[in-house]
Amino acid sequence: MSSKRFRPDVDAPEYHGRYSPYDIIKEGTIAIVLVGLLTIILAIVFGSPDERAITIKTWSNAAPVDFATTALSELNGTSGTAQYGAPYNTASTGQQLGPLQLSKWVGVRIPINTVKDFVISPLRAMPSQPALRDALTQWISASTSTQDAWVANYTKAADKLTFTNSVVTVPAANAGPVPIFINDLTQMARTGALDQALITESGYYTTDYTRPLLFLADGAYLESVATKQHLLGTQWGMMNETGSYPGQAWLWLYSFWYQIPPFNSSWGANADVLVWGLMMLLSALLLLVPFIPGLRSIPRRSRVYRLIWREHYRDQK
Amino acid sequence: MAFFTALGALVPLDHFGHYFHWHFIYLSLSNLIIILLMIATFLAAILAPFPGRKSRKEHQ
Repeated sequence: MSSKRFRPDVDAPEYHGRYSPYDIIKEGTIAIVLVGLLTIILAIVFGSPDERAITIKTWSNAAPVDFATTALSELNGTSGTAQYGAPYNTASTGQQLGPLQLSKWVGVRIPINTVKDFVISPLRAMPSQPALRDALTQWISASTSTQDAWVANYTKAADKLTFTNSVVTVPAANAGPVPIFINDLTQMARTGALDQALITESGYYTTDYTRPLLFLADGAYLESVATKQHLLGTQWGMMNETGSYPGQAWLWLYSFWYQIPPFNSSWGANADVLVWGLMMLLSALLLLVPFIPGLRSIPRRSRVYRLIWREHYRDQK
Repeated sequence: MAFFTALGALVPLDHFGHYFHWHFIYLSLSNLIIILLMIATFLAAILAPFPGRKSRKEHQ
């Protein structure tokens, strides 16, 4: 009977050395107690980030012109959400992994029509506003081409948009009910009613903040706050936290790819899915280390184990 | 109010701190400290002697 050849990194040699007792319960208990104590001490000394949430109310009071301009972009279809594609609409192809149009495969799972969901429906929820009620009736009874013409006329003059004496003013002619919409939506936002209207569009009791968050992200205010707080993606993305609190440093590899070419240049449009694909590939390589010749030999060839178990190897000598 | 103030952190980190910027690497000092501590812990796990070494040797 021929003996099988011993394959390093695959076969385990039979151990003939001495054994030492090891109490895993004792070690686990010590680790939990120490980490628990450390957590309590660090919480007492440093606390935790306590930033107030940014809402549409905060935004529209701090930067009413930016809010009104963003509201117009929702109405004329130029906002980030209006042009995003899946899962909100079919305006663009979305993220692609090479020839694979993954976003299209997922489809429109959270349908959002920015005109209806961000402007018209919230305004319809406003009670006892005769001028607004008439404006909405005028909008609904108009043809699509007329609506488009009103919005286009307002958009042409939008670079002269001002917020004076708590009123949004634009010197636009033939804009139909659009000036009333933009002004009333801004007033609604400043009271906090728009936050509530956008949340309750998908049900009375809900924790779905998709719509207000998308609306916020379409404006310039959120990005300006993020810039001030060093929270932009260009600043090592997921590793950031507000103030001087440390972030999720262990996610550095995921955020690292966004900082270098081609992910931040020619591949930028599909960076999210490409970085995800690359990380899945690297994760698969890590999981399959025992099966990959060469890669699985690194622990044996690097001899780090001899450093850890140096006492044992010294005794063997 | 004073009660809640007393419950607050002894050293709050809400202010903006220092940032380390070198080419495309741009991270906060606090993140850098955490990363260095993680590396130090990793090196300690490899290089620090196992506890109980002396008592084992005496036992032998």
